[in-house]
Amino acid sequence: MKLDCLDFRRQVGAEPFIEGPEYEAHRSECPACARFQDELRAMDGLIARALAVEPARLAEPAPARRPMSAAPGRRRLFAIAASIVVGLSVGLVLLVSAPRASLAREVIDHVAHEPGAMAGTAPVAAGVLSGVLDPEGVRLRPGVGEVSFAARCVHDGHVVPHLVVRVPEGMVTVLLLRHREVDEPTQVSDQGFEGVVLPAPRGSIAVVGQGIANLDGVAQKVFEAVDWGV
Amino acid sequence: MNRGDVETDRRRRFGVLCDSLRPDLLRFAFWLGRDRALAEDVVQEAMLRAWKSYDALSDESKAKSWLLTIVRREFARSFERKRLELADLDVLVAAEAPVLAAEDDEELAAMRAALFRLGDEYREPLVLQVLMGYSTNEIATMMGLQQGAVLTRLFRARAKLRQELGLVPGPAP
Repeated sequence: MKLDCLDFRRQVGAEPFIEGPEYEAHRSECPACARFQDELRAMDGLIARALAVEPARLAEPAPARRPMSAAPGRRRLFAIAASIVVGLSVGLVLLVSAPRASLAREVIDHVAHEPGAMAGTAPVAAGVLSGVLDPEGVRLRPGVGEVSFAARCVHDGHVVPHLVVRVPEGMVTVLLLRHREVDEPTQVSDQGFEGVVLPAPRGSIAVVGQGIANLDGVAQKVFEAVDWGV
Repeated sequence: MNRGDVETDRRRRFGVLCDSLRPDLLRFAFWLGRDRALAEDVVQEAMLRAWKSYDALSDESKAKSWLLTIVRREFARSFERKRLELADLDVLVAAEAPVLAAEDDEELAAMRAALFRLGDEYREPLVLQVLMGYSTNEIATMMGLQQGAVLTRLFRARAKLRQELGLVPGPAP
């Protein structure tokens, strides 16, 4: 289906990260619409940062402007229940920390289900890349390789940056998993992909490739190219 | 596993959900009501309801959307129960200034204020899409709307934000 400018703008105005051959075709034909989409993607990065208010700030005492006056008894009951539950959960966090190999497989699943991400050949605009990384408070230092795909994807119920980077050894997919912590590097091979998950200052970073010689070394270079902002 | 162990395991699993999802639920409730105290109350009530109906959650991978739906309903109930008055936007912004502040980042602070001023019908799907990562189809299900209506609201939400922030639209095609 061929898109005209109106259809393209209507669609990307609602879903700035939408992808597909018809969108790519229109972007290549219409620089103004391509710029419009890039601007919206950058704005989405700012919206994501704006919405991600730190929970600590929300926990600060607030003016009781519109008290809901939940019954004190219920509040107390909940507090007691919550303390029991939280107490029980202390040990459980250790028990249910996701198995590392499982995480690496999930990452490969994610990559295997988005083959279109590897199809890009042109580098993404700087604004698009910052729109994807800014909400995480991280930056990619230049020099590691050309980024041909950058999007914020849903993984494991969280929105995570998904990059495809062209390194000298080939194309690798990089996922920044702020919500998943690992204790040590993990490797996995599945569905024709090889993946490495490394502990990061914030969560973990996954690097996935196909037939990449020395994927560990590549993953380490990518890890070092990320400015974690800490 | 005996009955006591089953109950302990149930509490343990619910505790994990609470611990991991509470920040997102609080953020969602805050952006729904634009009020920290209200958000805190709504999330607490929602968790209490969730605990009571925890057995209804058959697939824990859907826990987040399940809890968000409960928060949403609890928020609506809070309006029914208390007949909350519509507050003046400037009062809301001033009252929540500590949350909206973004030191050394005027752009971020301006965006937060613009989001605060966005109509509820536009702000909610935007939060679900950008912050929570849901697809338009999933948002439609959660909000009980047609997907087309969600797309329209999201389009208008971004158009209003661009307008509010004084962003120059791209050259007309």
